[in-house]
Amino acid sequence: MAHEESTEIPIGSMVPLTGAIADDGIAFRNGAIIAIEEINASGGILGRKLHPYFVDTGPQNAASVIAAANMLIHRHKVHAIINGYNIGPQNAEYEPIADAGIIYIHQNTLLQHHDTISSDRERYFGCFMGDPADYWYGQGFIKFISWLRDTRQWTPRNERLAIISGSKPYSIVIARAIEKIAHMFGWQVVCGPRIVQTPTTSWQEALAEVRAADPAVIANTHFYAGDLAHFQMQFLENPINALIYLQYGAMHDSFVRLAGAASEGAIVGTVVGLLPDAIGQAFEERYRARFRDDSTARIAGQVHAAMHHYAIAAALAGGTAPPGGHQQNRVVAARLRSTIYRSVIGSVNYDSNQAATSYPNSTNDPSLGLPHLFFQIQGRDLRHTAIAPHPYDVAPFRIPPWFR
Amino acid sequence: MPDAEPASSFSPWEVLRDISLGIAIFDPDEHLLGSNAGFDALYGSMVDVIKPGISLEALLDTLATRNQINAGASASWVTAALSSLRGMIPIRHDLLSGRSYEIAPHVVPAGIALTVQDVTTLKRGDAALREARDIADRANQSKSRFLRAASHDLRQPLATLKILIYTCQGNLEELARPETLRAMDVSVSVIEDLLGALLNIGQLDGGGIVAHIDSVPISAILDRVFIQFKHQAEQKGLKLTVVSSSLVASSDRILLERVLSNFVSNAIRYTDVGRILVGCRRGRDHIQIMVADTGRGISAENQSRIFDEFYRVVDRPEPGQKGLGLGLNIAKRFAELIGATISVQSNPGRGSCFSIRVPIGEVWRAAVAETAVSEFLAGQFAGLEVLLVEDDQLLRDALSNLLQRWGILVTASIEPEEAVEAFLARGTKPDLAITDYRLPGGLRGTEVCQLLRRNFGAELPCIVVTGDTDVQPLSEITAAGLRYLIKPVSPPQLRALMHHLLYEPDLPDPI
Repeated sequence: MAHEESTEIPIGSMVPLTGAIADDGIAFRNGAIIAIEEINASGGILGRKLHPYFVDTGPQNAASVIAAANMLIHRHKVHAIINGYNIGPQNAEYEPIADAGIIYIHQNTLLQHHDTISSDRERYFGCFMGDPADYWYGQGFIKFISWLRDTRQWTPRNERLAIISGSKPYSIVIARAIEKIAHMFGWQVVCGPRIVQTPTTSWQEALAEVRAADPAVIANTHFYAGDLAHFQMQFLENPINALIYLQYGAMHDSFVRLAGAASEGAIVGTVVGLLPDAIGQAFEERYRARFRDDSTARIAGQVHAAMHHYAIAAALAGGTAPPGGHQQNRVVAARLRSTIYRSVIGSVNYDSNQAATSYPNSTNDPSLGLPHLFFQIQGRDLRHTAIAPHPYDVAPFRIPPWFR
Repeated sequence: MPDAEPASSFSPWEVLRDISLGIAIFDPDEHLLGSNAGFDALYGSMVDVIKPGISLEALLDTLATRNQINAGASASWVTAALSSLRGMIPIRHDLLSGRSYEIAPHVVPAGIALTVQDVTTLKRGDAALREARDIADRANQSKSRFLRAASHDLRQPLATLKILIYTCQGNLEELARPETLRAMDVSVSVIEDLLGALLNIGQLDGGGIVAHIDSVPISAILDRVFIQFKHQAEQKGLKLTVVSSSLVASSDRILLERVLSNFVSNAIRYTDVGRILVGCRRGRDHIQIMVADTGRGISAENQSRIFDEFYRVVDRPEPGQKGLGLGLNIAKRFAELIGATISVQSNPGRGSCFSIRVPIGEVWRAAVAETAVSEFLAGQFAGLEVLLVEDDQLLRDALSNLLQRWGILVTASIEPEEAVEAFLARGTKPDLAITDYRLPGGLRGTEVCQLLRRNFGAELPCIVVTGDTDVQPLSEITAAGLRYLIKPVSPPQLRALMHHLLYEPDLPDPI
């Protein structure tokens, strides 16, 4: 990428390129790169090209993410920070970003974003969560299994539900949301939420408790691809007739590579996934042609979407601003809020707390929200196949191969 | 004899001719002497007969026989009109064209003068006024009816509240308090819903109440109905059983709940012994929600009329209560609004089963109660209990507010012993403790933590907050195996440290 320092707009990205979720970080970085290349090829933002700066946040704790934000703000003078998720800092990175008055779009999928924004809208004007809060996973999951049941695609042998949670706030919130709503749709939580300290590859103890509870559905809300692959393989050592739902991390191709044939039949959900339509497929092809690594285009789409949305909003606002340029960046933030962008992951439509609206969890209109997608790993080629919700489903649900 | 005055050039007919009011003058024998242009214009289709000499009766007869009059039989109209005019009583008649004229008779020296004017606009105004008055009367009657009915419905949750308050005034056990408070909350929200509906009730007749059809989990409604009526049923020695359902209905949540509440309320009122069962049956494209009781039952004759307005079953006396017979009628009208049908099956002496049939909804669109998500409702700390010791009231309040916003139950105090007592009295343990380092009387936060761990276990996670940045106190805290945060406490740091201590104590320090 040509470096024309005087006219380029520096854009920061805090990505875990090392550590437990490096698979995600690499996909996030690639998503940012391909989006910036596309934006620059179209003339940039009002004629100014974007230049990306990446900082590794491998440890995923508050210190590493705050340090990354400070480096991007003070050394690279970035006008915006746009990246996927960083789970550890619990919004601590909002503080240096709010002080600098720049735009920040992330995919942290955290409920606490709502509370932070609503606590001081003036201060956090620039902070946007480009995907819906983790909380929505709970509702969406219960509606999904109820839909399978009510449409007779699957007849559960009982109404019992087991929930295993990782120890990150994201996993705990999702587990609690599932627990909270289950009874409304006829499900009985008979095990958990059992919080397992993660990361871990050892699930035997938790699985023993789950098997003893004899559930028809098992949900694991931890989200590390490798850990989930071990969970799936250990479940299949002594399977029961239960649906297996794995949180987000099983979206990764690395999950399938590690779990192999054991992954067939597993269900995985994401509120921020690449759509299995012509737009999504075209992106996936471009991605594959551009990056010949093992990263997953389905993960990269979210940063690609956020970067394009930012570029459009900034152009509508009349340009970007460096740290300290609160006034101009407020205009950019206003355009982000008012402009719905149909991206490769669906429609990004910010709600009053500057978080993306979720379809069908918080809107019934697919044109006004990011779809909460459910995939099932199907077939000999172990393909992630979208089975819900309509209109993004491409194939029906299949009874998992471990059912006897 | 004085000279005669010169003949005046004044001609009354010249003047009258140009007046738009129709004027016709008849001699004492009722023969036309003359008419002005206004009269001729009003009766333009009869100009061939409006000639001097024609009798009043012939004129009226022509008017009637030429179908100018929209008043039924012409002969009788002519007779009646003549009679009125001769009696100096004005008459009104409508023409087939839709216009209305008023003819007024006047005695003049020459005989009788008739003045005719077009009163169409005036009449329409009268009619509009009458119609408006009738609508207002109906609306007023309707409003009165519904106000009475609503006051009847409001008594249900109020009665429940009275029972619950009475229970609270007694020796309510700590463990029973959350359930009682929740029941109170539901009763209050039922009153809230009813008052909300009441604001619109006057619009019901005019179609002003619009049903908001959505996909509604039946269980959410049944839960509320159960909580609302459980205590009333218990008070009467009845067993109320609600069989939960996983089904989703296509309906208006508030209106459907009102219908079911009415069914259950009636079931409790008219059942003396036994039970009330609420449950659902799924059809191909509908859900039948039923409320069955072991009450007095309703005769076949009354079953057909029980949904009529103001209809009350005379053989079902209600000691101490006077229903207006509107509850089931309102239920029926609400059911119509939401595209549902209601019905009853009953055997006198054995019980009744009221049911409402609603279309099946779509689970994906099911509206769950919370529309706004927050950490208070569903955050990682929601429902946890924290013990807070802080002597500065401002800081104590600020920290309490922050923790409560995260859904945490906070027990805050200046005195650690007082906080401990509060937990011991409740029979619960804190999930985490936060204490100031420097407390009154030279007490240290480290000592507070020792006290708390003696009472609640050595594994109790504790955080000490301090304004001291000197090495000595910080070392003391660390040496005691405790974690500290420097004032002012940053919410993200507190959140991260709390998460670490509660859920990931074996992982590296997040801060």
